[in-house]
Amino acid sequence: MSQKGTSSFIILRACAVLLFPLSVWFLIKVVSHLGGNYLEARAFVAQPLNGLLLGAFIIIGAWHMRIGAAEIIFDYVHSWARDVLLFVNWLVSLLLIGGAGWAIYMISFAG
Amino acid sequence: MAKDATPARPLSPHLQIWRFTAPMAASITHRGTGVVLYGGTVLLVCWLVALELHPPGFERIAAFANSAVGLIIIAGYVWALSFHLLNGLRHLYWDSGRGLAMRTVRIMSWAIYAAATALAAIVMWAGFFSGPA
Repeated sequence: MSQKGTSSFIILRACAVLLFPLSVWFLIKVVSHLGGNYLEARAFVAQPLNGLLLGAFIIIGAWHMRIGAAEIIFDYVHSWARDVLLFVNWLVSLLLIGGAGWAIYMISFAG
Repeated sequence: MAKDATPARPLSPHLQIWRFTAPMAASITHRGTGVVLYGGTVLLVCWLVALELHPPGFERIAAFANSAVGLIIIAGYVWALSFHLLNGLRHLYWDSGRGLAMRTVRIMSWAIYAAATALAAIVMWAGFFSGPA
């Protein structure tokens, strides 16, 4: 994972710029649905624009998170555990991207 | 001995050696909220996958979201997102080489705590408690 400093720096910030409007949208539009019932939540995500924005929020967010968490791991873990944590960090991020991408595709676009 | 040939790289200062200042608190909070958002995103994806895969499971998640513990988790996530969003904007501004005067940094640190709290309160009050818009 060495020699990646510059690209990580740029990708982290590019994701941050994209996440700004998506987070504002999330706070205004999505938080109110988190305690809603099944049909109501499903109807919300089923609208393609909502699915697209929610997918972008989670997928771009997961990539931003992976880089940010790796930064913390590099700062504070100096033993063999570092590689394990970095691997788990990758795995969790890919699972989040896969899980969210699949669920949103099924709800918003395949139905 | 190959290990000794590598010069020791500088380490990040540890949390306990800092005197308390607002900029230092905001910096630590930025990382802390980042970690909270990591956990929150895992829960959000569970919510979404249950929405597609398992309606009864989803109803249990929704019921939990409306319990006292669920409300604290959602309010915590909303506050963390508000703080990370506003402080992240400041980070982007810093990257342009501006906003780095000590007085500005100190004032903005307090202002971001206040603004994040106000934003989170509005989102929870207007959004969550009054139901879907």
